[in-house]
Order: sequence, then C-alpha cells, then structure tokens
Amino acid sequence: MKFDGGCHCGKITFEAEADPEDARICHCTDCQLLSGSAFRTVIPTVEDGFKLLTGEPKVYVKIAESGRRRVQAFCEDCGTHIYATSVEDGPKTYGVRVGTLRQREQIVPRLQLWCRSARPWLDELEAIPKIEKQA
Amino acid sequence: MKIDGACHCGKITYEAEVDADGARICHCTDCQTMGGSAFRMVVPSRVDGFRVTSGTPRIYVKIAESGNPRAQAFCPDCGTHIYASPAGDGPKVYNIRTSSVRQRDQIVPQFQGWHRSAQHWLPDLPSIPKVETQ
Repeated sequence: MKFDGGCHCGKITFEAEADPEDARICHCTDCQLLSGSAFRTVIPTVEDGFKLLTGEPKVYVKIAESGRRRVQAFCEDCGTHIYATSVEDGPKTYGVRVGTLRQREQIVPRLQLWCRSARPWLDELEAIPKIEKQA
Repeated sequence: MKIDGACHCGKITYEAEVDADGARICHCTDCQTMGGSAFRMVVPSRVDGFRVTSGTPRIYVKIAESGNPRAQAFCPDCGTHIYASPAGDGPKVYNIRTSSVRQRDQIVPQFQGWHRSAQHWLPDLPSIPKVETQ
C-alpha cells in the first residue's frame, strides 16, 4: 500500500510503500523517551520504499541494545519524528512513524514489541477518564 | 513532587516541581503527528516550576485550535520532546513530556484529553499480540 505524510511544520514530506499488516507498536525505552509517549507506532517499508519529497530530516544515531547503530530521523524545525533505519549503505527498510502518515486512521498495529518495558498502566487505558477536547 | 529528567543524548537536563495528579494523556492530532505515535503524555509543572539545568532546547511554536501560540521544546541534537508551554513572556506552566522524567514510573496518567481524535484501535490494545523483546 502506498502512503504519504509529513512533519507538523510541513518542511518534510514523503511517500512510502509498506504492508499495513506489518504495523507494530514499539514499547522500548528509547521509543518512549524520544517520542514523549508511552510507545511508538511504526510501519516498516518495503526495501527502499521510502522517498523524501521535500526537506531533509536531521539524523540522530543511537546504539540499540543489540549493539547496532540505528538512524533516527526527525525534522529539525518542528521536532516531528519521521523514521528509523539502518546506518549501513545498501538497500534498507524504513520504520516510518505512523503518526506522521496522512492515512494513519487506516493503520492498525498487529504486534507489540519490547513489552517487557511497556508502561504498566496501558492495560487499564480504557478505564482512565476521557475528555473529548481540552482537559 | 520534585522530578528531574533528560533527553536521549543527554545534552538537555532539567528539574521541575510537578503536580502528578495533573498527569494526562493527550490524543490531539498535533501530539500524534509530532510524536509519531498514537498520543503523548504530559505532567504539568507548578507555575514557573521548571528549570533547564544544561543545554538549550529548540522551540517550535504551533497554533492550538484555541488560537493560542504554544511553544513545543525539543532537543535539537536527538529530537527528544521535552515540554510544551505558552509562548512568550510571563509566568507559565510547563507541560513536561513524562517519558523524559527519571521518576516516570511514579507518574500515572489521571485522564485522557482530546479523546475525540484518539486512535480507534486503542481499546483493543490489550489483545494485540505481545512480544517481550524484539
């Protein structure tokens, strides 16, 4: 399926090709910290299935628990997180941050990874009082 | 409650006095886009109860649905989101991104704001298959 998306300020836009069945949640502590959220939602592209249309993301390289270096790309103007990928040359897949996709309503995560560090209150999420708009 | 925190690369550190009972989830579409996730969480500081102890966050000003300009602070090196606050001068409350707080295990969201735009699959979260690691 083809997707497109962009950052909040509009500087970075992209299109991507990915299988919606591969969409996942990542509960690793790096995802929690970098995004300001409890987890991130990610969809891996097919190989080389990511194309920047405008702008150039800033790249931050983190060391994963495996020891591998992982590129984290974000907009340096508005801070929107765009994707993660490998540092090596050659064909690569891009873990696109689902929140940046125009079609995000159509993407349902199929798998939750790194659940050992999942926030414990997520199991009771539905019981946390809800407000339609501003709290 | 006194807290402290840092971004992923360690350039930005801060300390704050927060109201843990004000901790919340935000499902607004801006939080979804900027965080790249389903929602973000924040915990509000006391008025002016936030102090950067190293580094300088980059500020992006967005216009909220209310028309209010809101400063969104993040680390320019690693992209970690740090806080949101009113733009401009004057005393202010800082909504600190809970994930960057060292004491985050003690801060549980007490309510969920902007639920009208919550991702529709969230009620099914407990039934999505789980893997402990990668």
